[in-house]
Amino acid sequence: MNSHDVTVLGYFVVVLLCVGLQLLSLRPASRVPSLTALLRRAMRGRPGRVGVITAWAWLGLHFLAR
Amino acid sequence: MTESRSAAATVRATMAVVIREPVVAIMLVWAFFDGISGNPIHALLVGGVAILLGRDIALGEPNPPVPLLERGGRLPAWWLVVALSAVFAAVVGSFPRYSWPTTAAIVAIGTGAVALAWRGPLVARPDTGRLPRPGVLAWVAVLVAGALWELQALLLQPSLTADSWQHPTISTLTDPVLSTHLGRTAIMFAWLLAGWFLLRQ
Repeated sequence: MNSHDVTVLGYFVVVLLCVGLQLLSLRPASRVPSLTALLRRAMRGRPGRVGVITAWAWLGLHFLAR
Repeated sequence: MTESRSAAATVRATMAVVIREPVVAIMLVWAFFDGISGNPIHALLVGGVAILLGRDIALGEPNPPVPLLERGGRLPAWWLVVALSAVFAAVVGSFPRYSWPTTAAIVAIGTGAVALAWRGPLVARPDTGRLPRPGVLAWVAVLVAGALWELQALLLQPSLTADSWQHPTISTLTDPVLSTHLGRTAIMFAWLLAGWFLLRQ
């Protein structure tokens, strides 16, 4: 396993952990909130709402634009 | 003397903003690193929004914003959003990556969405109270770990502007997909729908 594979494996583990937390949030009376609940909480005020939407806009710029 | 007092007051007000809303500080640091990585447009967008947010927080929001639907506004039907996103993605995806038409289209959509978010939420959501702390910490730990993993790959590149196959960032891994019209269209379509989903939260 070379350093490329290790790096890709790291991303894969992070994605798996996110999927695992999301699945845990679906259980009744779960102490883990869903990603949607987390986003709603973060976006309740203007700074959080504008910050999250700016992060989304930046992703579009980063991957596709100059 | 008066000038030094006013400068001190400005520094104190700025520090108060940073402590109250760390999102502004995070965005300023983010804009700085994007700027030195050779991305002036990204840095301008993030830094500009951070400065406006900082000013807004320092001045104080007079009233909580009223959701768009409660202001008499209407949201477009979901099928219309999907159809328009598909057409937009197919048209803009036909331009080469990093081209000026693509950049202009994404900047227009991005700044429009930020302006919409600035005015207030689109939909009223009931207050669900505090979220369970252990679960929130688990999410934060995983998301921060992901960001640090991406950062170590970025720092192990030959330079901030040169990709490395040995230590690929997510951008490097998505390059083969984004080099085709179909790939750009699919990613842009997903990006637009994700933006609509976020605006509705």
